[in-house]
Amino acid sequence: MTLSRSDASTARPADDVVIELRDTSVEYGMDRGTSKVLNEVDFEVQRDEIVGVIGESGSGKSMFASAMLDAVPEPGVTTGEVIYRPEDGEPVSVTDLSKEELRRFRWEEVSMVFQGAMSSFNPVMDIRTHFVETLSAHDYDVDRGIERARELLSDLYLDPDRMLDSYPHELSGGMKQRVLIALSLVLEPEVLVMDEPTAALDLLMQRSIVSLLEEIKEKHDLTIVFITHDLPLVADLADRLAVLYAFEFAEVGPSEDILENPAHPYTRALLNATPNLSAPLEEMRPIEGESPDPVNIPDGCSYHPRCPLSDEQCVESDPGPYDAGPEHDVHCHHWEQSVEDIDVAFAETDERAFTSAAEKAVDEPLVSLSDVEVTFGSENDGWLDFGEDETVSAVDGVSLDVYENDVLVLVGESGCGKTTLGKTAVGLQRPTGGSIEYRQRDIWEGSGGTSSLADEEIRRALQIVHQDPGSSLNSHQRVRTILEQPLKRWHPELDGNDRRERILGMLEYVGITPPEDYVERYPHQLSGGEQQRIALIRTMLINPDLILADEAVSALDVSLRVGMMDLMIELQDAFDTSFLFISHDLSNARYLAEKTGGRIGVMYLGRLVEVGSAERIIQNPQHPYTKALRWATPELGEEAREDPPIRTIDIPDAQDPPSGCRYHTRCPEAREVCTTESPEFVDVGDETQIQRSACFRALDEHPYWQSDPIADDS
Amino acid sequence: MNWKIRRIGQAVFTVLAVLTLSFVMIRMMPGNPVDAFVARVGPQLENPQEAYERAETYMNINPQEPMHIAYVNYMADMIQGDMGRSMSQNAPVAAIMAEAIPWTLFVMSWAVFLGFAVGISLGALMAYWEGSKFDSALTGYATTITSIPFYVLALFLLMTLGYQLGWFPTGGRRPEGVAVGFNLPFMMGIIYHATLPVLSMFVASGAASLTMRGNSVRVLGEDYLRVARLRGLSDRTIAIRYVARNAILPMYTGLMIAIGTMFGGAVVLEEIFSYRGMGYYMIQAVRARDYPLMMGTFTVITIAVVIALLIADLTYGKIDPRAGSEDREAF
Ligand code: SF4
Ligand code: SF4
Repeated sequence: MTLSRSDASTARPADDVVIELRDTSVEYGMDRGTSKVLNEVDFEVQRDEIVGVIGESGSGKSMFASAMLDAVPEPGVTTGEVIYRPEDGEPVSVTDLSKEELRRFRWEEVSMVFQGAMSSFNPVMDIRTHFVETLSAHDYDVDRGIERARELLSDLYLDPDRMLDSYPHELSGGMKQRVLIALSLVLEPEVLVMDEPTAALDLLMQRSIVSLLEEIKEKHDLTIVFITHDLPLVADLADRLAVLYAFEFAEVGPSEDILENPAHPYTRALLNATPNLSAPLEEMRPIEGESPDPVNIPDGCSYHPRCPLSDEQCVESDPGPYDAGPEHDVHCHHWEQSVEDIDVAFAETDERAFTSAAEKAVDEPLVSLSDVEVTFGSENDGWLDFGEDETVSAVDGVSLDVYENDVLVLVGESGCGKTTLGKTAVGLQRPTGGSIEYRQRDIWEGSGGTSSLADEEIRRALQIVHQDPGSSLNSHQRVRTILEQPLKRWHPELDGNDRRERILGMLEYVGITPPEDYVERYPHQLSGGEQQRIALIRTMLINPDLILADEAVSALDVSLRVGMMDLMIELQDAFDTSFLFISHDLSNARYLAEKTGGRIGVMYLGRLVEVGSAERIIQNPQHPYTKALRWATPELGEEAREDPPIRTIDIPDAQDPPSGCRYHTRCPEAREVCTTESPEFVDVGDETQIQRSACFRALDEHPYWQSDPIADDS
Repeated sequence: MNWKIRRIGQAVFTVLAVLTLSFVMIRMMPGNPVDAFVARVGPQLENPQEAYERAETYMNINPQEPMHIAYVNYMADMIQGDMGRSMSQNAPVAAIMAEAIPWTLFVMSWAVFLGFAVGISLGALMAYWEGSKFDSALTGYATTITSIPFYVLALFLLMTLGYQLGWFPTGGRRPEGVAVGFNLPFMMGIIYHATLPVLSMFVASGAASLTMRGNSVRVLGEDYLRVARLRGLSDRTIAIRYVARNAILPMYTGLMIAIGTMFGGAVVLEEIFSYRGMGYYMIQAVRARDYPLMMGTFTVITIAVVIALLIADLTYGKIDPRAGSEDREAF
């Protein structure tokens, strides 16, 4: 294998570079040694481009972002060169600027929106003050600046007056994020660096913001560096993509090239591991192993411990950039082989026959919810309470059946009531109306006014796996003790030996080896993925009939998600349980539901608006809201991006939900009748596929079709 | 708005409840002071009827009246500020209180104010130099001083600075032989007399500095601080409007509660320093079984605490925009 090492970076046409990183490293001194969280990277940002930087957590992506502004958090040290080239004027070496020069450089030339947007504002000051402060700190004209701020805010579909007069806590997450973008652009910077700017938001909001970015960029002549772990999110926005792995770039190139012809084994694996809506499920594969520790970066190619193609050369020498096409650099010795072989390396099919949702529906339901309502907040209570009625209806009249061996995934934006509904289904939340039956028995029967179930048997049958596995495990107990408890309680017939056997067997089953070693550990000695698996086993050992898994995979890295979902599916099948998953991510939902022949339920503002088999919901959504969610779930390599199929970005206040069909304020198809009448479920399925949709459009005969469309005021 | 009315209503309710409780204690408990008083005083008087009248003057309760009428009269008197007449001092309780309260307020407000001012400054410095020798030394000091009860410190100060060194007076509240009024020697004199009691309450500064340190360190790690720095705000703006404001805010309610509890501390402290404030009279009253005075001081202290908390709650909304509105983003 002789590959010439062409110097790819000079092979480029004369480019207009705005930020250049040369040999840039970020280091932290730690007790265990120096932690290199950015390892001698070279990178160029072209003027007026959008470049997407993809990296999992712990890949050094945030450090990369901060290094561009020389704003690495203390006590990190940035070495190497960071050069900024203004449109007119001399190049500036950012790392050599004085404190005052740096203060001016940031935000005026390069500004940044980073992860913690939710808490990026001083909670005791209104938004206007944030703008004014920023303008005066840089000696800008405040009146003109505020004018610009207003313009930016309305470009981002916000009401400028309302925003400027609000305090941060009065705004929703999506609003704060957009206000922060406006704030970052108020000084007219050349470059905007965004570090996971949308990570904490709902998909629909993320997608809406991303689609606004392109307009903003055109209008204000911006260069955008968009850093994220979510490849599909930026894939069609970015002109170029760069993949970070273990504090170095693995591959850089034009977006299409990276998506269609990824050359680095890691990129290929990452693409395979990313759940999406269209790829065949068999092609989705987790990446084995874990990212390296910044104190101990492997020699040579840092990916070699996980790479299926690694050989001597990879361990010995650092793969420099190879030219894999025009402007496409890859840091892998064997990239050509990777292009040919890597898909094969992962191919491995598993066929499992699942009963489809349509067939299950004829059985008796395991858990049946009818007309469930959950209301939070206090109504007027007592003679000394002069307060007004402040109730929020989190779930408003939902009926739903879960069958034996069934999988149901609830999706929706945050605040839509999916978590509340899930908790209600497993008896963790007492409904304020309607009933929940487990095998035809009311689960709240005999529990009086208390908030816990009276019947032991039902309590055992309904279980939950928490969102954050770490906090649900007792940190003072060893894994063995944690796992023994459910066995002792629910299987008293087992003796100590049997219990041990059972636990070791389970650990091995979920791939935690050697189990003898792991049972003696404490939770903090386990990785996030391992904690999650322990929490899952603990629940399975109780032998429940229905498990609620609330956002159980969203906290995990992309490369681990598919693995975790596979495991849950496998356990579901092996233990004959039913799962109720809650997710805000339609691609995860699709993966779970399609693989198990389950259903997806879409919730909006406390109501179930559409429910159906995965195929139907993904391929043929009927409800306009499902269509919007579908749009919000980015597709790899999908070019045509239409405008958002919603009329307004922000969700209405849940305390004062819209009348009639609750979606009418955002629905592009809404007509007058939707504002007054509330649609019922309409069956649009057939013998093989279930689908029910709560929209008038699903009916052939309805006054809807004669009604006037709602005048669009935006 | 409604919330404020509700809050005020609660405060009024608490005060009324306390007054009612005092009525129950004086009049309705077996062996209660009114009965005891009549039983003790009655036989010594020529006209036993007079015992009831005296009970009414001293305790605002005429034992001959039916319970509900006695209660209404008692409450009406108390609300109008008539707290009966002290037996040991032989003066109206209200008058004694009016004379004593300013002195207590004087000492206590100084103690609270100085304690918090010093605590906040130290805490801010400790947070600024987090992890330095200065920080660990002061943290040690603050932890120690917080764990000393204030009255132990008071006795210690009294022993050393008062008796042994003789730098400060060991009792009294104002200089002798100086004309009372707004003149320098008198002012200096009362400050001089107040020094030791104020210093004893200084233990509170330890707790305040630790809280301030913790809050500041937390704020320093907040995202909005990082954004503020990136936005190029000056260090001064960041220190005052971002760090100080957000770190002190949570302590505001603590300050008001401290003012309330200080009244409790005053009882012990004034006794130790023979400082004739409200607490001093309370102890005197207990010694002399002077129920009217005892109940008077007790109600005044309670009301003071209730009012301090009410002010804290009502003004908090003015300085923290988040107050009163719950976060409803996630459910
Ligand atoms: S250089 Fe070697 S180990 Fe690294 S990605 Fe390429 S083939 Fe794999
Ligand atoms: S009922 Fe009307 S508003 Fe509701 S989803 Fe259907 S078309 Fe839209």
